[in-house]
Amino acid sequence: MNGRNGRNETNDSPLANPKPALWKWKNPYLGFVLFGLLLSTLPLFSSSGLMKSSTLNYIGNVLVYAVAALGLNLLLGYAGLISLGTAGFMGLGSYIAAYIAKDMGMSFWAALTAAVLIPTLVGLLIGLISLRIEGIYLAIATLCVSEILLKSFEQADSITGGMQGKSVSYPVLFGHALNRSSTYVLLVVVLTLVMMLTHSLVNGQKGRALHAMRGSEVAAQAMGVNLLQYRLIAFSLATAYSALSGVLYVFFIKFSYPSVWNLNLSLYVLAAVVIGGLRSIYGTIVGTLVVWAVPDLILKNLPIVGKINGLPYIFNGILIIVVVMFAPQGISGLWQRALPFKGKKKEKEAE
Amino acid sequence: MFFEWVFKFEDVFKESIFEYEKNAMGASGAFALERGGIVSNELGTVLQLFMRSLETGSVYALAALGIIVIYRTSNLMHFAQGSLGMFNTFVVTYVFLSFRLPLWASTLCGIAAAIGMGFLVDFLIIRHTKKVSPLAKQIITLGLIMVFLGLAPMLFGVDPLSLPRFLQSGDFNFGIASISHNAVLNISLGLVLMGILFYVLQKTKMGLAVRTTASNEPVARLMGVPTRRVTLAAWALAGVLGCLSGVMIAPTTTVTTSLMDAVQVNALFGCVLGGFQTFYGPVLGAYIIGVGRNFLVYYVSSIWGEQIMYLLILIFLIFRPNGLIGKKFVKKV
Repeated sequence: MNGRNGRNETNDSPLANPKPALWKWKNPYLGFVLFGLLLSTLPLFSSSGLMKSSTLNYIGNVLVYAVAALGLNLLLGYAGLISLGTAGFMGLGSYIAAYIAKDMGMSFWAALTAAVLIPTLVGLLIGLISLRIEGIYLAIATLCVSEILLKSFEQADSITGGMQGKSVSYPVLFGHALNRSSTYVLLVVVLTLVMMLTHSLVNGQKGRALHAMRGSEVAAQAMGVNLLQYRLIAFSLATAYSALSGVLYVFFIKFSYPSVWNLNLSLYVLAAVVIGGLRSIYGTIVGTLVVWAVPDLILKNLPIVGKINGLPYIFNGILIIVVVMFAPQGISGLWQRALPFKGKKKEKEAE
Repeated sequence: MFFEWVFKFEDVFKESIFEYEKNAMGASGAFALERGGIVSNELGTVLQLFMRSLETGSVYALAALGIIVIYRTSNLMHFAQGSLGMFNTFVVTYVFLSFRLPLWASTLCGIAAAIGMGFLVDFLIIRHTKKVSPLAKQIITLGLIMVFLGLAPMLFGVDPLSLPRFLQSGDFNFGIASISHNAVLNISLGLVLMGILFYVLQKTKMGLAVRTTASNEPVARLMGVPTRRVTLAAWALAGVLGCLSGVMIAPTTTVTTSLMDAVQVNALFGCVLGGFQTFYGPVLGAYIIGVGRNFLVYYVSSIWGEQIMYLLILIFLIFRPNGLIGKKFVKKV
């Protein structure tokens, strides 16, 4: 919805820029940079004791998953293709990165490159498959790939450490060994870059082609969109994002267990995308916050709710159901409706 | 000389069985081959494996049937089938351990809880989602997963519990293969239950109502089919099927929140393998996966068998994108 038809819109950053003055700025990238700067100040709060130290972990987690969610949003929101393979590719990225950085002793950059490239190649294969299989069958086919990867993580002890998991240390960048706070800043930088990349992708010619493909494949083909090419692009991008997210995960959390990369994780990422709202970059990040941070950061700290085992998750489940039932367009849809005359314009555009 | 060879064979066989058992007892949660059965030759092994696979298949098939019933009547992919089954298995285990009821009575309690849960889910949530987009609807089942994952430790504690088998001991011996009474019970329970369900679906008025709702919900409502009651019953049925598959799989592992993860995934694969257009397709798919998985794990590789099975499903889907019994879906432009 943002910037469709190549219009240079500035209003896809309402969630992060609640002040009206910022909307009028012509450059949306500035918004992303500001957002990133804002996020990267959090370690200061943490070190000065204004914020609990564990909070930084939770927020960092959210940033990691936000990268994967942005990838899925690209796939689902723009190309209209569904994938349940996110977890498998995240896991693949994390294990490759861990293996290269720890066992082979190579640099962070080598690990990053390989861990993003190899899963992307697998993603290309799924793009090929997606030409034959559709809808819910495609979703389960991607789940199939994810399960194959998951079982391999469990079995290939020599590379993945099997059920015991794999550990790495914080990355070493340009000769500096990072600590928790600086790794967190690295996450913020990567997320900001990914947000910018996504924005430029979907507002360019590729984004328009994907839009057309989602609306009607036949019409898109008639207009000269090469279906194979764009499906491959969509899937390889989504896979690359998930793998990147996996790399960030393993360097921030420092561990990777097979039990993390299961179906539920893929479903959570999907939930984050739908709750945040399709085709909204800031919405996706808010959705990720709702899915991962709300139970740990807010609900667990409530007086009665947080004390009982499991109750925060029940509340979060109910919250997710309620959002889906009463805000089918996600939180970004709610936001657009809340702004009176912008909402009307959006609705018109959506028609 | 001959005896030496026999002993050697037995050792090798036992070792491989043990290897297999370890693998089956792992995260996959499938049924393990029990040691000590009288197996004397290749045919016996095949028969033995086949019967075990039928048992695994029954579990997957029951879960898959629950998924397809919900898919057809409520038009959503039931990702929470496993979690719902897990929760109700916790109910069974809790009743069994705390109130010292016999297992069948505990299972009845679990079934009652499953029906209640199914009613609640439909009554409180699914009924009000007519206007929600199909994609967003799937997310509701995800919310349900979170609720059940939270409810189970809250009500029943975080310690893993264990549930015994229905029939503790006893084997049927066929000379070349043997099967435990409990396995026979599980297999026949699955088959009988599905037989009854398919009879109801195909031959009774009630089944006609379900099939009409499945084929076109608005038109069914116009024709006077009580579609609300049909969906309500479908959710209750899915809950019961999930509970039964949970109770069947529970003795092979411990009752934890991840009890049904493997069942859920395999039931989903069964659904795509069989195709979503019929009620019996997914059941067939689930049995095929149960059999195929065990044979591949035993004969090809205990490490890579499962992955090969999934890869075969993937390749099969490429050639038949709508599953085994799926009809071709013609897209209108």
